[in-house]
Parts: sequence; structure tokens; C-alpha cells
Amino acid sequence: MVSFIIRRILIMIPMMLVISFICFFLIELQPGDFVSQYLENPRISPEQIDYIKANLGLDKTPMERYGMWMKGIITEGDFGYSFAFKRPVTDLIWERMGWTIGIALVTILFQWLIAVPLGIYSALHPYRSGDYLLTFIAFIGISIPEFFLALILMFATGTSGGLFSPQYIGAPFSLAKMVDLAQHVWLPIVVIGISGLAGLMRVMRGNMLDTLGSPFVNSLRARGLPEKWVKRHVIKNALNPMVSIAGMELPNIFSGTVITAIVLNLPTMGPFFYTALMNHDQYLVMTFLMFIALITQIGNLIADVLLAVLDPRIRMS
Amino acid sequence: MKKFMLFFVILLVSFMAFATEFEIVDEMLTPEKPNMGGTLYLSVSSSPQSFNFYGTLDGVSYTIAGNFLNSLVELHPVTNAIQPGLAKSWEVSADNKVVTIHLRDVKWSDGKPFTADDVIFTFDNFVMNKFAEGNSIARFTINGELVKFEKVDDHTLKAYLPAPYGPFFMVMSHASIYPKHILESQIDTKDPGSVNKLWTTNTPLNQIVGTGPFVLENYVVDQKVVLKRNPYYWKKDKLGNTLPYFDKLEYLVIKDTQVLNAKFMAGDVDYMSVSAADFPMLKQMELDGSKFTIFMAQPTRPTPSPVHITFNFDAKNPELAQLFSNKNFRMAMEYSLNRERVIEEVYNTLAVLGGVPVLPANTAFYNPAIEDIRREYNPEMAMSILDAIGLVDRNGDGWRDFENGNTIEFVLLTSTGQTDQDIAYIFSEEAKGIGIKCELQIVDGSLRSQKALSGDFEACLWAFGNQPDPQLRKAIWSPGYSLYYCHFSTMNPETKEPYADLRNMYDWEKQVHYAFEIGQTAMDPQERKVQYGIWQEIYAEYIPFIYVCKGMDLMGASNSLGNFYQLDNGSLAYAVYTLFRK
Repeated sequence: MVSFIIRRILIMIPMMLVISFICFFLIELQPGDFVSQYLENPRISPEQIDYIKANLGLDKTPMERYGMWMKGIITEGDFGYSFAFKRPVTDLIWERMGWTIGIALVTILFQWLIAVPLGIYSALHPYRSGDYLLTFIAFIGISIPEFFLALILMFATGTSGGLFSPQYIGAPFSLAKMVDLAQHVWLPIVVIGISGLAGLMRVMRGNMLDTLGSPFVNSLRARGLPEKWVKRHVIKNALNPMVSIAGMELPNIFSGTVITAIVLNLPTMGPFFYTALMNHDQYLVMTFLMFIALITQIGNLIADVLLAVLDPRIRMS
Repeated sequence: MKKFMLFFVILLVSFMAFATEFEIVDEMLTPEKPNMGGTLYLSVSSSPQSFNFYGTLDGVSYTIAGNFLNSLVELHPVTNAIQPGLAKSWEVSADNKVVTIHLRDVKWSDGKPFTADDVIFTFDNFVMNKFAEGNSIARFTINGELVKFEKVDDHTLKAYLPAPYGPFFMVMSHASIYPKHILESQIDTKDPGSVNKLWTTNTPLNQIVGTGPFVLENYVVDQKVVLKRNPYYWKKDKLGNTLPYFDKLEYLVIKDTQVLNAKFMAGDVDYMSVSAADFPMLKQMELDGSKFTIFMAQPTRPTPSPVHITFNFDAKNPELAQLFSNKNFRMAMEYSLNRERVIEEVYNTLAVLGGVPVLPANTAFYNPAIEDIRREYNPEMAMSILDAIGLVDRNGDGWRDFENGNTIEFVLLTSTGQTDQDIAYIFSEEAKGIGIKCELQIVDGSLRSQKALSGDFEACLWAFGNQPDPQLRKAIWSPGYSLYYCHFSTMNPETKEPYADLRNMYDWEKQVHYAFEIGQTAMDPQERKVQYGIWQEIYAEYIPFIYVCKGMDLMGASNSLGNFYQLDNGSLAYAVYTLFRK
């Protein structure tokens, strides 16, 4: 198991290099660069545009810039400066990490705590009114665009996005502040969580139905095991594929849903990344993409390890 | 006697301690009896990229910095007239080349005195430092030479201009003054570009001091910026109250306009700009009894600039280049432009014709003669002009052709912005009506900039380049400069300025060039108005740019705000430091 983990970690290094190369040159394909937005500003002379370009290193070829950036990372752990903010990109990403992780973790918890029991219920009562109702709701959840649901809920409840009322933003911790947070935070959790919840519920239902039809279930019943215990075995087996899905969810924690976060006015990484992309803030975008790539690989690794721990068949193989 | 002496000393010390020379603000801004205290809630569309006015080109950063920094002279918040700022007065020498500036006796927000050293420090390290990203070096360069500043004493300095310079006070109004005692030690003298890394968004806020009405108190990343009242601010109202009235000013970061509307409706934001699309809904809510007022005001703010359409005199296709250089063709295209339809369909009727491009509200420079020259929608006239210059349909396919039988068709470049797209579509439809084939090329805004400013276009629809003083936009509107993109061959590519012999310029372009040159050096406002008036008339007559229209200033404001109202002339009157909560 240990050698498996080490091997996977070692594979990550060339993988990250390839990803960084692809990302860098994909971003290069975007027309214009950071100073393009200033071209039409008469306050900025053509001479000054050249100065800014030289200052930011934009006068160099893409290959040279890529080389310098990689060298900085490898030799000094320096991921570069943001062109717009004049600060190290890692600081800027770190500043926004708290709310991003917080909201995403609660959302994932919300999805799983609701989706798994409902999926089980649906599978244990197949083709009955409860199952049809949940299926209907699930399909609506999957098909409705999140930003649109956000607008509808904001309109229906009279809330206006954000995580706090203006007077509590930046205020010291208090009970009133927590109450205010609770009054606001349910909206992003429900909106961001609803489509994933519906999808997870359908997957859980499908897994359960598959497992219920397995020969080992018949065998358990034939041996007279009480139905309660049979169900336990079925659920345990049906949960296995869900662990892989959990691994895939990890990158979503950080990138999230950009448009929805803008509509809901959330101080998370999604809108920040979007603005950086639009502004051609290259090193900020690159570092963020690299981070997502790393998280995706780590998520997959964790899922594989967990599967091995949970399922002796995988461990044995 | 001892008691008397003690009283005298205390009086003297107190007088010295509070020696601030106050400015009484225009009565126009304080018509109501105010209440002190409370918080004013406003919004910005993104997080500030920096708190350093000269280290960034970010509009949100400028909005925030405008509250804690001041310049030597200011623009009146309503009339845009030049008025005293940190300079309480000034004299101009007889030859118009030396300006003696008398500074106000005020304090920085940390209690340290403001002096002439701060001014000279700011101009040397920031305003005229070409490595500072938001510098204004071009505005303080006259005939290739920089303006020189010299300290006379702590509260007096002289500015030596290489030549008389009409917009000197206008450009001074855009130069915020920085505290030398805070920043001098932080500048790396070997690296003039290091000034860009000062006052970034992670700087401890007590290190950011200013002379403005507010000072920074708190910044919650991506959520809000909080400013508190500056106890040393140097403006008072007519009743003797020190401004500002509000104790705090909070900018909420709201990226989406629908969320902003919702916050405004909920009373979380006190005032905001309203789009033409949202105006009917919000106005109806006001009429139904909501606690806000939606104002429809004559445009006084130069930005957003009026939309224009231009043709590339240097188009790669020689037939088109020749056609676009023909005044009669441009005239026909102006006749074919249905401005009324644009105003009705694109702007929800909330726009005015505007100027070329100086706004009628800009009384210092607007030339009303352009109203008689401007050509109104008249497709018949457009068709008869095209017929007269020999551009007729020669093969019966419905499109007009060149003499050699080639169909007249061109590509109109514009951005993905909704307003731009909509106007471009209407223009192309109307062009179709007179037999001219106009295809649309809709691209990302930054790509449009690149294509247009490299001359890689045939026709372009864009909106940029308006300012209270036309001199600040010389690079766009004066032929031969780097942003006069309809006729780049008038520019010497090496110097990025016109050729010495003004080659490749039409006579009318030369006249515009001279008008800008004279307007730049004239110090007399009347003379300047005449020169920029000539420019406007020539532009209206020869139409290198067809100006479409200008959206009205649409604002929504909470009814709980005092000193926020509309003047009889349709302009809105308010300033952040004179608003209060009723």
C-alpha cells in the first residue's frame, strides 16, 4: 500500500509539469495580454505601455516567461506576482481560501447527508409514489441552472446575496453575527448543493438497486438473515462507488461555480479566478489552475486509498 | 497676572494646534440642515487592486483613494469648475510660465503637518515617475520638457512651466498628494518601479494616511472597504460644522448588477448608478412608494463616453480606404444613422444626442454650433448623395457597387458589450436600407482595442475619449497621435507624434491639429473655448467620427439621504462629504 501511494505521488510530478505546460500555452492563446485593457486609455502613452510590458516581463517570448516562472517555482517556491495586485499570487489565493473551503465543505456535507438517505429510501421503495416524487425533484435539481435558481430564491425570499448583512461584515465574532450568517448562508448552500444533491441521490439509488439484485443479497436472504442486516450489507456495498465521486468533488471545493458565486456575491475563489482570467493576470491564473490540478490528483489518490481501505477485494487485487 | 499668562499660553497653543485653514464648501452642496454621524453605504464592482493611486490603473482603487487623498486643486463635484484644494490660492506670472502656489495649513490624518515637501516628493516619485504604473508624466510634459516644482517655504512652492499650458490646473486636479513622512523611507531609491508595491491591499491600514474626508479603517477581502471620518479634514459647511457628516463610509463589493439592485432595494446601498434597462422597473417601484428616488439627469459626467462610429482612412483594401476618405460617403453614412431609433431601442429613450463629443453640460468647452451641422436621419438624402458620387447598384443585386463593379461592403468591428452590439446591428440595418453592405465583427473588448489600435479594421464602433477638458484627450482626437485611429498614416511611427511637416493630413485635419496646439498653450479660458470650438465644428462638418448619442445620468438614491437632489438644470448635486442621514 505504501509503495502504491509513493508511486502515485511520484507520477504526480511529471503530470503537473505537463499540465503546467498545457495551461500556460492555452492561456497564451487568449487574444491580448494584461496591458491590452489600457491601450485605449489616452492617459497611458504608447511609451508607458512599453514600460509596463517590460516591467511585467510581457516583452519576453512565452517560452522565456514559462521558463522563468517554472524556475522561480522550483528554486525559490515563488509562484510569481499578480500583475494587477502587485502582490505574490499565493498570498492572494490564500486570502480567499477560508470562505471557499468553508462554504464548499458545508455544501458537500449538506449534499451527502440528504442525498444518501433519500437515495436509499428511493431504492427501497422503487416505482412507488415516494420514489417518483423524489425522481421528479431530482431531475428538476439536475436540470435547473444554478445561477437561475439563485435568482429565483433571492427574489422569492427577498434576500440579496452575500454572507452577512453589511453591518456584520468584518465585525468581531458575536452570537448576532452567527445568526446573521445562518440567515444568509443557507442560500448558497442550497443553490450550489442542489444539483449535486440530485445527482448523488440518483447515483445512490442506482447503486442500491444494482446491489439489491446481486446474487449475494439473495444468498443472505436465503440464509435467513433479518432484512435489517441485509439492508446494511447492501448499503455498504452501494456506497463504494460513491467514494470515487467524493474524490472528484475535491477540486469543486476550490473552483466551485463561478457564475453562481458572482450572482450570490460570495467572497470565494470562483469570481476571483474569473476576474483574473478576464484581466490576463497570467501568473495568478496559472497558479490557481496548478492548484486545482494538484487538488484533483490528490482527491483521486485519497479516493483510491479509501476504496482500498473500505473494500477488501480491491486491497487483495 | 500668572493666570492671565497661563490662559494666554493655552489660547496660543490651542490656536497653533488647530491652525487648520478651513474651506467653506459651496452652499449648493449643503442646502439642508444636517445630522451628524452614521454610516454611508455605497458599492464597488470589484475588490480594489491596490490602495496606491499611482501604483495601479484600477478604477475601483481610484474610487476608494479619492476619499482619503486630495490634490492641490479640485473640480467642483457638480459644475466641474476648478476650485482650491490643498492649495488655498495661486498666482500666475505675466508670461504664464510660473505659477506660485500657496498651500493650506492642514494636517495629515495622523496629525503630522502637510507641507510643500509632500508636494515635491509626490511629483518626483509618483506623478512624474515613468515607472509608477498610474503616473501622469505625459500630462506634465510640455513641449518635451517636464514641469519643475520648487519649494519656497513650507507653505509656498513654485511651478515652472516650459511653456504656457492651458490645462495646467485641470491636470493638477488629478494629481493626489502623498505623505512624504510615511512613504519616503519605503521607496527603494535604486528601483523607481518599487513605488508600485507601496500601499498594496495587505498594507496595515494605519500606515495609509491622507488629507481627504475619510481614512481607511478596515478591508475585508472581496466583501467591503470601511473608511472612517478624518478628524483633520479641512472643509466646513456654511454653519461651521466640520465635514464629513457621516462617521463612516462603507463600500460593499458587489460584482453583479442584479445583486446591486437587490441590495439597493433592500436599503443596503444608499445610492448607485442605474442602467437604462433597469430604470423602468426601479422608477415604477419608486412611484409605488419605495423608499428611494430614481433620478433621470442630464449627462454631466463625461464617462461613459458617447458611442462613435469611424471609418479607417488607411484601410488595407485601397478601394475602401479611398471611399472612407471621401467626406460625401461619411456624410451619407451619418444621414443613414437613425439616432432616434438607437435612443429608443437601445437606451430605453434614456439618452440624448450629446456632442462631438463634448457634452452640452460642459459649458466651458461645448460649441452649440454643432447642433446645426449635425445631420439627422434622412435615408433619401443619404441615397441621393451616394448616387451623386457614382456609387450605384450596377448589377441589380440590391447592393451599391464601385465603378469596377465590386460590391461596396465593409466590416464594422465592435465589442460583445450589449449596447455596442445593439447599436452596430441598427447601423448595419439602416446601411442595408441605402444599399451599403455592412457586416458585423463582434469580438471581446480587449481584442477590439488591439485590432483598432493596430489599424486592423475597416470600420469600428467604440466609445472612449471624453473628459471635462479636451486637452486630456488630445492623443485621441488630434490627428497624428497614437489614438487617432481612423487615420494612423498621419502619425510618425517612430515618435508616435505627427510628422513635422504634417504630411498625410487633410487640410481640415491640420486645422484640428493647430486648434489643439493653440488650446494647449493658451491660458485664457475664452481663447481655449474658441480653439476647442473650432475642433468641434470641424469634426461635425467632416465627421471623421460619427457620434451616436450619450446615455443620461441615471441614479437611484435612498430617500433617507440629505443633501442629494436635482438642480433646475437637470444635473444632480451631491458630494460624499456633504451627505447625511435624515
